[in-house]
Amino acid sequence: MKYITALAGLLLASTAMSPAFAQDNHDVTVVLAEEADVIEPCMATRSNIGRIVLQNISETLTELDVRGDKGLMPRLAESWEMAGDNTWRFHLREGVKFSDGSDFDAEDVKHSFERAGSDQITCEISRYYEGIDITPKVVDAHTIDFTTEPAQPILPLLLSLLTIVPSETPLEFTRNPIGTGPYMLAEWNPGQDIKLARRDDYWGEAPAVTGATYLFRTDAAVRAAMVQTGEADIAPSISATDATDPEMDFSYPNSETTYLRIDQNVAPLGDKRVREALNLALDREAFIGTILAEGTQIATAINVPTTLGWNPDVTAWPYDPDKARALLAEAKADGVPVETTISLIGRTGNFPGATEVFEAIQGMLTDVGFNIDLQMVEVAEHEQYYSKPYVEDRPILVGAQHDNSRGDPVFSMYFKYHSEGRQSGINDPKVDELIETATAATGEERSALWSELFAYLHDDVVADVLLFHMVGHARVGGRVDFTPTIATNSSLQLSEIGFK
Amino acid sequence: MSSMLGKRAVSSFISLMVLIVLVFFLSRLTGDPAALYLPVDASEEMRQNFREIHGLNDPVLVQFGHYLADLVRFDFGDSLRKARPALEVVLEAFTWTLELALITMALVTAAAIALGSLAAFNIGSPLDRIASLLSLIGASAPDFWIAIVGIVLFSVSLGWLPTSGTGSVWHWILPISVLFIRPFGLILQVVRGSMITALGSAYVKTARAKGVKNRPIIFVHTLRNAMLPVITVIGDQAAALLNGAVVVETIFGFPGVGKLMIDSILQRDFNVILAAIMVTALAIFVMNLLIDIAYALLDPRIRT
Repeated sequence: MKYITALAGLLLASTAMSPAFAQDNHDVTVVLAEEADVIEPCMATRSNIGRIVLQNISETLTELDVRGDKGLMPRLAESWEMAGDNTWRFHLREGVKFSDGSDFDAEDVKHSFERAGSDQITCEISRYYEGIDITPKVVDAHTIDFTTEPAQPILPLLLSLLTIVPSETPLEFTRNPIGTGPYMLAEWNPGQDIKLARRDDYWGEAPAVTGATYLFRTDAAVRAAMVQTGEADIAPSISATDATDPEMDFSYPNSETTYLRIDQNVAPLGDKRVREALNLALDREAFIGTILAEGTQIATAINVPTTLGWNPDVTAWPYDPDKARALLAEAKADGVPVETTISLIGRTGNFPGATEVFEAIQGMLTDVGFNIDLQMVEVAEHEQYYSKPYVEDRPILVGAQHDNSRGDPVFSMYFKYHSEGRQSGINDPKVDELIETATAATGEERSALWSELFAYLHDDVVADVLLFHMVGHARVGGRVDFTPTIATNSSLQLSEIGFK
Repeated sequence: MSSMLGKRAVSSFISLMVLIVLVFFLSRLTGDPAALYLPVDASEEMRQNFREIHGLNDPVLVQFGHYLADLVRFDFGDSLRKARPALEVVLEAFTWTLELALITMALVTAAAIALGSLAAFNIGSPLDRIASLLSLIGASAPDFWIAIVGIVLFSVSLGWLPTSGTGSVWHWILPISVLFIRPFGLILQVVRGSMITALGSAYVKTARAKGVKNRPIIFVHTLRNAMLPVITVIGDQAAALLNGAVVVETIFGFPGVGKLMIDSILQRDFNVILAAIMVTALAIFVMNLLIDIAYALLDPRIRT
């Protein structure tokens, strides 16, 4: 009997501590799909890490406004201007302290940049600075110059990805991230949870959320159930099939674009009529609201419509199977081997319903006379088809997703379409030239050049089979006030969360 | 008995060695960790640099030499993904798996032996029929489905239990219940069958003829003899649980070694894969030894 009483007591005590009963404060619980392996600021472009770190623990010099139309906003930099042809000058905010109490100054910015690019650690954010020679130079404690070679018109935008760490941070992955953000790492129980606490000495306005607990559940149905039962407040990513409650569930453009990459080097895919037939054979409308979620958009470019230079005049390919058949017949008459078996490579679990989508594509292409062999592979194998050197023993279509929510096509164009690009299937001098000129251009000219490129790729080159701009689904509990945006795919600013 | 155990230990040790060699070469055959770890648009320079840092540029045999040398010192290196010692990562996860496996197996064994014996003693009774039905359902039900239905029923609809996680005693109830079902069904069947055979044997008839009561017949005469096949099945089931209950760990967010292993394989995190396999193999090695000892204690014929 004594034991039973003790057990009952234990159970009662644990009830009092369980999260479902402890929410009359202003802490929030966020449930993510994948645990953060490291909480390293220089890895913040990885979404499971970015959702915890970005602008919560670590801040950046500039920040892209995704809720309004203010464009690039100041964060740790108060202002910036060109100081010479190849030099950008940033004026840093004064009176900012890191969570370890040290002062933020230009040396920290210099170190953060050099650390991210160091060959002693593999920081993911450094890939955005590749191909540009960037030299930071401290002018005074609160002014820093970045000299680039060649000129880099969008350097301020690139710096919206550089998370700032103190100049003492060693050249190895840290387990104790120090930042200037409104929150600091309070607790980390690997495999279980990560907790952030609000700082009292933050330079900006104090956010409403006092602390955050991050939990990790692989199963989307469990994440949705956790918000429903009140065990969590926000699940930034649930599956479309679980998003059934309009009170709690939001869909948001997740900045991913699905497409079929065509390697034009292997016949019959080098023939433009064959590529047009691929595009005309697909009834894209039929996918939306059936296999894919309502709200999914048909893509006319690899980048989402909010990207600089996105071209509204480009129209999506119509569904015209008869014309596709006619084009194939025409090509065949000219000796193009249109009956060759074409491999369609899809990635299992790439997005919800991926297998069904690729099966439907296979069906539609077969219907107009293509000979399609569908292979669903896992991520490692997929990568072998997706990036150079390509498998070229047979014609291949690689089904893939591309994510660029950074606002400028420069993050996509070179490696997707330049003849030297790691994932480019085309080799077109005009495309190469447009990419190079646009990359160096500014303002209106830049936007116009990207527009021209989008149209040229879609209408003249028929570079790929563009499919959809995808949507993600988030579930937000009744206690908190939060609207997901396109940025929710890569970050989750606690300061944007309010209470009802 | 000691010579029997010695033989078993030696043969298990040889399989462990074969496993070590296989694991290394098989995991190297499946793909380049640099391609997976780094983002798709990483440059060749970044990839090269990554391979350099992690010693992936050395000839495979040199890498194998390093691996063996490290293994002897029980040093598995750092996890590529988590930037901390692989063994630490694995032991952390294995502790959860071990707790889950031990509690589940203890409950399963007790329940299956009690119910199985009673059913065997009353063949054809309602109790026997219910036990058989339960064991059939248990042995054939898909655990992912039971897990999700359990969450929907007990967490979402009734609100009695938390959906997932590890915070309190309540958090353990659903995962253990789901894990319980299958081994319970299997072991119950084996106990029942084995007991029926034992109860029909000559020594039980003799005991009955001498007027021995039911209770001593079950607990003194038959149970011990009927336990041999049961222990084998318990061992099998426990080994499966020690390998990690992937489905349960995934759904309930239990940070065990099964999910860790799957994730590490997908990410080609070699050091963690190796450490996890070694730790679980060692655990199963120890458990098999325990089973052999139990066998020997129960059956004097084996001790020679």
